[in-house]
Amino acid sequence: MSRLGAALLRHGFLAVLVVVFAFFSVYTETFLTSGNLIDMLHAMSPLLVISAGLALVVMTGKLDISVGSVAFVSASSGTLLMTQLGWSPVPALLAALLIGAALGALNGFIVVVLRVNPLITTLGTMIAFRGIGLQLTNAQVARLPEGVRLLGNWSVGPVFGDTLIALAIVLAVHLAHRRTVFGRQLTAIGNGEDVARRIGIPVDRLVFVAFVVSGVLAAVGGVLDTLQIGAISAYLGKGLEFNAVAVVVVGGISLFGGRGSILSGVVLGTLVFEMIQNGLNHVGANPYAYRLVSGAVIFAAMYADALKSGVRGSAAGLLTRQNG
Amino acid sequence: MSDAAYLSMRGLSKSYPGVVALRDASLDAWRGEAVALMGANGAGKSTLMNVLGGVTAPDAGTVTIDGAVVRPRSPREALGLGIAFVHQELAMLPSMTVAENVFADGFPTRFGMIDGVTMQRQAAELLGRLGCDLPTDRAVETLGPGDRQMVEIARALRRAPRIMIFDEPTSSLTNREKRRLFDIVGGLKRDGVAIIYITHFVDEIFDICERATVMRNGATVATSAVARTSPAEIVHQMLGEADSGERLADPSAGFGPVALEVRGLSGGMLRDIDLTVSAGEVVGLWGLLGSGRTELVRALIGLDPIEAGTLRWRSDDRLRPVTPAGLHRIAGIVTEDRRGEGLLLPLSTRANLSLASLRALLTPLRLVDRGREESLASDLIVRLRIKVSGSAQAVGTLSGGNQQKVVVGRWLATKPRLFLLDEPTRGLDVGAKTEILKLTAELARAGAAVLVISSEPDELMRICDRYLVMSRGRITGNLSGGATRADLLAAVSAAPSRMATA
Repeated sequence: MSRLGAALLRHGFLAVLVVVFAFFSVYTETFLTSGNLIDMLHAMSPLLVISAGLALVVMTGKLDISVGSVAFVSASSGTLLMTQLGWSPVPALLAALLIGAALGALNGFIVVVLRVNPLITTLGTMIAFRGIGLQLTNAQVARLPEGVRLLGNWSVGPVFGDTLIALAIVLAVHLAHRRTVFGRQLTAIGNGEDVARRIGIPVDRLVFVAFVVSGVLAAVGGVLDTLQIGAISAYLGKGLEFNAVAVVVVGGISLFGGRGSILSGVVLGTLVFEMIQNGLNHVGANPYAYRLVSGAVIFAAMYADALKSGVRGSAAGLLTRQNG
Repeated sequence: MSDAAYLSMRGLSKSYPGVVALRDASLDAWRGEAVALMGANGAGKSTLMNVLGGVTAPDAGTVTIDGAVVRPRSPREALGLGIAFVHQELAMLPSMTVAENVFADGFPTRFGMIDGVTMQRQAAELLGRLGCDLPTDRAVETLGPGDRQMVEIARALRRAPRIMIFDEPTSSLTNREKRRLFDIVGGLKRDGVAIIYITHFVDEIFDICERATVMRNGATVATSAVARTSPAEIVHQMLGEADSGERLADPSAGFGPVALEVRGLSGGMLRDIDLTVSAGEVVGLWGLLGSGRTELVRALIGLDPIEAGTLRWRSDDRLRPVTPAGLHRIAGIVTEDRRGEGLLLPLSTRANLSLASLRALLTPLRLVDRGREESLASDLIVRLRIKVSGSAQAVGTLSGGNQQKVVVGRWLATKPRLFLLDEPTRGLDVGAKTEILKLTAELARAGAAVLVISSEPDELMRICDRYLVMSRGRITGNLSGGATRADLLAAVSAAPSRMATA
């Protein structure tokens, strides 16, 4: 492969980002304004947090597509605890996070103890959890209490509060991945589960914890989303899991596990999709065009990932020769 | 040497359903010495070492270290007992750095974060002890096999082991890397580590080991001081006495025209391979494990890359150039790895037998003709004497020998004119072995060119018309079908000792 090709593969998502940004900036007058940039950062914060949690699971070479439903169930529960049972906001928030952890733990249990394929596991729980949420809310819209709703507009200077929270969480997850034993051992698992086991890494425990963290961060994302809207609806978090997977993939975090950077991957990955959506609005495109464009971007990113691992695969084949 | 062994494994037995992996095996190791553990593939070396490494629980027998009975139940417990394992298949994390690979199971931390500075420094120190100055922040995927092995050894050294097991450490090393490894083993011996060194290369043990323990069929058959034995004797102990079997087909000299011609093939460990196989001829590829036998077959069918050489294959009565991929399509391939060869275990015997020839069984509507599929399957079942309750029985429930017959049977249905057989009888009982060998002879009689690999000279002697001797990736001899067992053994035990003195 040419050096240009290799560089494009390595920094593919950056190239996409620059092209998208340049296109909308030139094509519309309203896209490249400080107000719109701040809006984009605001709108993308729930997805940012959820993708960061998912990225940890992907780092082990597994997948969690139940995050959208986990966000829905935990945010709905928190909201209902306030509106129906009169809980105050802080305990309700803690309860929401705890529910996220519990649902994540259930995923982890099924994957680690029952040895069910993670994609199938979380496909099942994605459907089941949404069912739980719909039953809880009766598929009705429930508005947040007045005082809590104001939190959705909280900002520090010109920047929205949830943007800061989301960035802080992504940074924390990034540091956990890069600098803690937990994060490095998760990466080790993604490099090869059998190898990690042989070295003596507690694979099962770590994978379980990764699913729990993914559940908690999905709950945080659900709460941020709810605060933005000011209410919960039956659609909360729907399709979010696929957006999060797309973010992770476009951000250069390999679905095969063990490769990629959380900070740059998740932030830039989320930014790509937010810019496409926001920019298409500004262009006045057909609202359904967004899906087509993001589908194409996801495909390109997946193809790049497959190419990259194909390059590695053949190199590895040269090195490991069976003897006999 | 007079005092008691540091590690003593006594009377170890282990059986799995239908297979005895270890029978009354014993091994001793002394501190500051290396004991070579030798044996053909499947002799039980891995099982014995897995018992020591806490991977396998023995049915009977004891392991004592420094006089105390131990029973490691997991690799972690074994590590705690001071036992470190350098596996043949290196446990590498390719995207992570050298230092991270060394410390993956026990990072040094400060305030909850990994202490990168300490980790890099200690990794560099460990590698320094191995005379190796790899940059510790480099990703392991950018290293060659020799350097990767240094990383693996450094990881083992981190625990300051008192017993170190090397499982075929030189199989992918260059000569220089091999010298470096031998120096390291020497250094470990001076530090008082007890070394168990598993290898197939007889010459190596005369360089670095004090003793050699030989295993065959799950038992330890001999232990000798290296100074008082010879390569020939060890090869003899590894392969055992002739145990059975008259010839199933007399060696003959009159064959059809040359069907496959290989000239100057090199690639991987293979160097300058020339060979021909004629139609109707059974050629035995004879050499110890690691001599390049399997690599040759893999290179012929394109599973490993070829750097130089030409392949020609007879079609329409002329030898024409052919690619490895082309040979792969032509050849019937049977190996010891029955699953790897595409037996679909949950499916029926019938489905497996007809898989390669479904195209010939289609109805005008392009559906598979069930009736013809069934008759093809039941013909083959009778012809190959496959023991099944019926053609619907799932292949996964058949014995190993019958599974292997299904593999052969599938090829029979497509009538290939070239067969490549790599240890086709591995793991089969004596009766099944004979049946597979008979089939092989029949294939040749029907005009196919056959290249067969076996670790057991007695098996080859029952069917081969000619032998090619391999050693270290080269063909070092060409023996006629009349060669005796002694000739065959001499051919492989002479080669390595020559290389050792060269």
